[in-house]
Order: sequence, then C-alpha cells, then structure tokens
Amino acid sequence: MSHCIVITSGKGGVGKTTTSANLACGLALNGHKVAVVDADIGLRNLDVILGLENRIVYDLVQVIEGECRLKQALIRDKRVEGLFLLPAAQTRDKNSVKPDDMRRLVAELKEIVDFVIIDCPAGIEQGFKNSIAGADQAIIVTTPEVSAIRDADRIIGLVEAHDLPEPRLIINRYRAGMVSRGDMMNRDDILEILAVPLLGIVPDHEDVIISANRGSPIVFDERSPIGAAYRRIVSRVEGNDVPIPDFTVETGVWSTFKRWMGLAPAREVV
Amino acid sequence: MRALIQRLFGPPPSTSKDDAIQRLKIVLMHDQCDLSPAQLESMKDEIVAVMRRYVEVDQAGVEFRLSKSDEGVALVSSVPVRRVTTRPAPSPS
Repeated sequence: MSHCIVITSGKGGVGKTTTSANLACGLALNGHKVAVVDADIGLRNLDVILGLENRIVYDLVQVIEGECRLKQALIRDKRVEGLFLLPAAQTRDKNSVKPDDMRRLVAELKEIVDFVIIDCPAGIEQGFKNSIAGADQAIIVTTPEVSAIRDADRIIGLVEAHDLPEPRLIINRYRAGMVSRGDMMNRDDILEILAVPLLGIVPDHEDVIISANRGSPIVFDERSPIGAAYRRIVSRVEGNDVPIPDFTVETGVWSTFKRWMGLAPAREVV
Repeated sequence: MRALIQRLFGPPPSTSKDDAIQRLKIVLMHDQCDLSPAQLESMKDEIVAVMRRYVEVDQAGVEFRLSKSDEGVALVSSVPVRRVTTRPAPSPS
C-alpha cells in the first residue's frame, strides 16, 4: 500500500527540502517508486536541490488547474530508477491550491508510486494546510536551537490536531563537539521537550552544502557519513530497526593527547 | 578528587545549553497555554488584589510562574503573608 509522508518544521531554513530530497532519493535507491512533491508554491527549491531545475515543463498548480496531466508534469530523475519530482509553481502563491486539491493529487500519485514525499513550506498557513491534507504521516525536521524547537513544538501540536499519527523527529545540523562542551542541546534534551519518537540525527557537515551546490543529494555519496545518516533514516522509514549512533566526541585529556600525537583520528563531527 | 577541585574552583558555570533549555521550557509553556507574560503579570496583580482583602501580602515576595508536569501546565504561586486581617475589607465593587 502506498504511503504519503509530509516533511515539515514550522521554521524555515532547518533543512526540510534537503531532508525531502535525500529521503526520496534514498527510498528510490532501495527500489521503491517515489514521487517527491514541492509544495512551496512561489518559492520552489526542491528542483535545484535535486539538480532537475532545467527539466521543468509543467508544475503542481498546472496539474491542479487541469492545464496538463499529472504524468506530463512529473520529472523522471535519470540517476535512479523510480524517482519523480512534481515541481512547485514559481509565479503563483500558496492560495492557488486548496487542501482538497492536494488530497486528490496525492490519491492520484499513490496509484503510481509507493511513496509520496511532500516538501512542506515554512509557516503554519495555507501552504502547511495544503501539505498535510493528503499525508498519512509527518516527519518533523528541527535543529538543536531554541527557535527551531519552539516552532517544532507548535507544528507537532498542529499535526496531531489534524488526526495524523504521532509525527517522528529528525534532528538536523547536530554538532557533537558543541554538545560535548555543553553549548548545544543533546538528543535527550530535545526529546524530553518535544516528546515525539526520534527518526534520526543528521550531523552538521559542509558536504551538505557542497552537494546542494552540485544538485546531487548526499545520500548518493557512498563514502559520506552524512549520506550514511540519511540511508539509516531511509531504512527506518521502511520499517527497519536501525540503531541511531551516539555522535559524540571524546573530550578527555587522554584522548586529546592521543589526537595530538596522531594516535587517534582527528576530531570529527560524526 | 573531583569534589576537591570543585570546592577549589566553585561549581561549574552553567553552559549555554542550560540557558537554552530553561528559556525554551518557559517559552513553550506560554505558547501552550496561550498566555503572554504581560497577561500573567496582570492576572498576578488581580489575584493579589483579592487576597489583600483578607490578608496582608508581602508584595516583593510574590511569585507567579507556570510549571509543566505530566498532567499539563500548572500555575504555581507563592504569596508570602505578613498577617491575617481580622475583618475582610469591602469588595471593590
């Protein structure tokens, strides 16, 4: 049975689009048919993160308004079998779409793919309401910061008010070094406050920016520890029980000495 | 050993993470019960005004805050009473 997952956060800039792209690519790498929908109408970005910006012909609003058929608007990703992007309109706004339109669209997509991933815009207004309308479950993305966690708390409440099951949380841009110095909230601090199950932790790493520059999601990079973090998240979404690593750095005098002497690997964020 | 070091240098300073957690908890409690700090302050003043009709209140020591428990959000107040006034003052209405 097909499944629709919305990626949301409340706050902007925490990594919803990056998460959507990597989750969609990762699921497709594992052999699923996936449609990833950019619901950020007016501010489309998922196309550039996926490196598909030059192939857009039709968009989501044109599908909804009947200007084209759904299959004409879906862009097939050539890097991996079974991955399709439905781009957002760039010259329209969120009010061009209604929750019922999204419900119909998602139902139609579910007939052709196994997973529908919806990249929700920031905020709690029309764009958010449209995004969660057709979803079966939500994934909340946050960063270990006061403002992002506050917004995540609000979004969790709104998701539950829409009769979706309990959302799961991805903590993005986690910095183990700062956590060990006591300058960043750790996973337990965040989970105690938000009280939702943890789906995964993605460490902060410059490779994520490099992959965005290239339009090639990092989940494709087999050697990257961040790619591995996303692959574990994908596996958990598939229902597998994959442990979440601790992402800690050793800080004691002895390990600092060992690092200094070159006996231990340099301090790494992962 | 650690205890000795702690006694020599005093307790470890609170980290910025602790500040973040404290601030978040307070902000979330206000968000969840939809009560702004200004509203809380005005509620405090009104409640204390009612109590004053019965007891003499030490205004400086009055404490009102929201606290979160498993049951939900609770209003926790501490109002130091100097003495009980023998006869209740007439209601302002």
